[in-house]
Amino acid sequence: MGLRLEPRLAPSARWQAVSVAVALLAALAVSALLLESAGTDVGVAFAAILDGAFGGLRTTAKTLAKATPMILTGLAITVAFRAKVWNIGAEGQLFAGAMASYWLYTLTGPALGMALLPLLFAAGFVGGGLYGGLAGWLRSAFRVNEVLTTVMLNYVILYLLSFLLVGPWRDQSSFYQQSERIDRAAWLPDLWAPGKLHLGFLVAILAAVAIHVVMNRSWFGYEVKAVGLNARAARFKGINVERTAVAVMVLSGGLAGLAGMIQVFGVNHRLESDISLGFGFTGIIIAVLAMLRPGWVVFVAILFGGFENGGIKMQVATGAPSAIVSAIEAITLLFFLTAAALTRFRIVWRST
Amino acid sequence: MGDLFTDTIVISVLAATIRIATPLILAALGELIAERAGILNLGVEGTMLMAAFAAFIGAYATGSTLMALLLAVLAGMAMSFIMVFMAATLKVEQVVTGLALNLLAAGMSLYLYKAFFAVEGQAMPTVAVMPVAPIPFLSEIPYIGPILFTQKVLTYVALLMVPVVWFFLYRTKYGLEIRCLGENPKAIDTKGMSVSLRQYGAVMAGGALCGLAGAFVTIGSSARFVPDITNGRGWLALVIVIAANWRPSGILIAALVFAFLDALQLQIQGIGVQMPYQIFLALPYVLAIVLMVLKSRRGRSEEPARLGVPYFRGER
Repeated sequence: MGLRLEPRLAPSARWQAVSVAVALLAALAVSALLLESAGTDVGVAFAAILDGAFGGLRTTAKTLAKATPMILTGLAITVAFRAKVWNIGAEGQLFAGAMASYWLYTLTGPALGMALLPLLFAAGFVGGGLYGGLAGWLRSAFRVNEVLTTVMLNYVILYLLSFLLVGPWRDQSSFYQQSERIDRAAWLPDLWAPGKLHLGFLVAILAAVAIHVVMNRSWFGYEVKAVGLNARAARFKGINVERTAVAVMVLSGGLAGLAGMIQVFGVNHRLESDISLGFGFTGIIIAVLAMLRPGWVVFVAILFGGFENGGIKMQVATGAPSAIVSAIEAITLLFFLTAAALTRFRIVWRST
Repeated sequence: MGDLFTDTIVISVLAATIRIATPLILAALGELIAERAGILNLGVEGTMLMAAFAAFIGAYATGSTLMALLLAVLAGMAMSFIMVFMAATLKVEQVVTGLALNLLAAGMSLYLYKAFFAVEGQAMPTVAVMPVAPIPFLSEIPYIGPILFTQKVLTYVALLMVPVVWFFLYRTKYGLEIRCLGENPKAIDTKGMSVSLRQYGAVMAGGALCGLAGAFVTIGSSARFVPDITNGRGWLALVIVIAANWRPSGILIAALVFAFLDALQLQIQGIGVQMPYQIFLALPYVLAIVLMVLKSRRGRSEEPARLGVPYFRGER
């Protein structure tokens, strides 16, 4: 006699909706406990998060700006995970894109003005794409697990960045590891200056639309899906699984690289390690919560952008560390995975 | 005089190698047991980080090393319980679950540390670091004594665990059953034995070893806790398992190679050689990729056939 899980023949839509809601509530409850245990007034804290996220037009615009790199890394992970290519290196690819675009900038200078921007975007995409493609190639040519190579490459690029920022790209006037400030002529133009919303947000939205079309309406998207569902069957069908995996990693890395370029030229206005607050890793949570759908990625990323900004407001209001936000995000992911799994089963009592 | 100088340096580098290898050996052995049971636990880094934090709390609150180790082991087992529950019972994609654990540990430890320890305007809290425990007589042997037998207790434990885990996996009934889970779980199921029960046992035993590995990172080496203190050691442990071709003896060798590189780097920096230190810091990760490529090109792989594949009764 005992509880058993039996697979459902078809997932029940009703239970799927219910369980996702329960997962969110459970994550909120755990977060409330975490805040409470540190002596924080939970009501005040949650109100501050909400206010700092979406309280007013200007805050909302700032949330959209914060969400921008996360939309792109979320899309990067979406593309890869759809093919069951486990790219954990969006963080490193983001930096590769940032470094490639900054390198181009050091070569050309700001003289080109607006004409430079498309080139910078291209450099960001290529930089991230090559770095992602490297892991894809290692996987396809040598059957090396891409999870581990992408993680290793994350560490490698951060040390390379640190080397460049104390060496050739160093800002001589500063004590910190950072490059010189980028000339204003090469900044991403503002969409709405008071909310610090820049062109990058529009690019991220366009990228989401493009990825949606490519993934759902193109032959390549079909191949990616086929490889993800059953690589063996895809091979029998004549799909070159190895080549698809490399292409997926290039596209995925390129999207992450765009995020890096946008942070350098739209937000930080210089190259430094602060251009990412772990966006490559948050992208994993976002993509999984969005069930690998580009439209939902945008939605979840904006929600998370709100969390990040709201967390800072909460820290000011209550003194509780804003790191609670990363804890909330990870807990939500775990509860979501549990809930999503449970919808595939039904719980039955067995008296054997 | 010159000889004496080089001798001291060689001994200090090799002793540091053994010390630095300690958490790598423990974590890699823990991961090996889980992977042999067919569960790919990518949450090693997070498991170590939570355990490192738990050990720090234990040492801070009680001042007792034993309590700190106990807490670390419990934290390691709790984290791996989540892993195996999601993997064996709910059959969630193991890669995603492992990553979720890492993100959970990073967020939780950072929040809890900042909420309870890093109080603004106060000195960072410290704990007593485990003392070196020289083994009587053996530690007096020239060369070998200061290298092998003048270490901390956890280091001796780590070195002992290599033959212990080997014996368990290759010479006991339970070890055989666990190895069978990674190759052909149906065989276990057909005999009326529980697949998931054994997977829980294997993954949580591995989690306990990861817990000890995490404890060594804090109370074994550092008086302070800093966010993300494990700094990729858990990921290196995963690489070590592959480079070792899923064998305990290989784990010892691979862990020593990585540790030697790190020890050499510390020594060179200490002498003050003018080289960009970032190159040395990046080297283990580059070496990890090279090792995995080399590994793929030669010989028969001992990788468990069912690694990361959930078992469903009634499958074909």
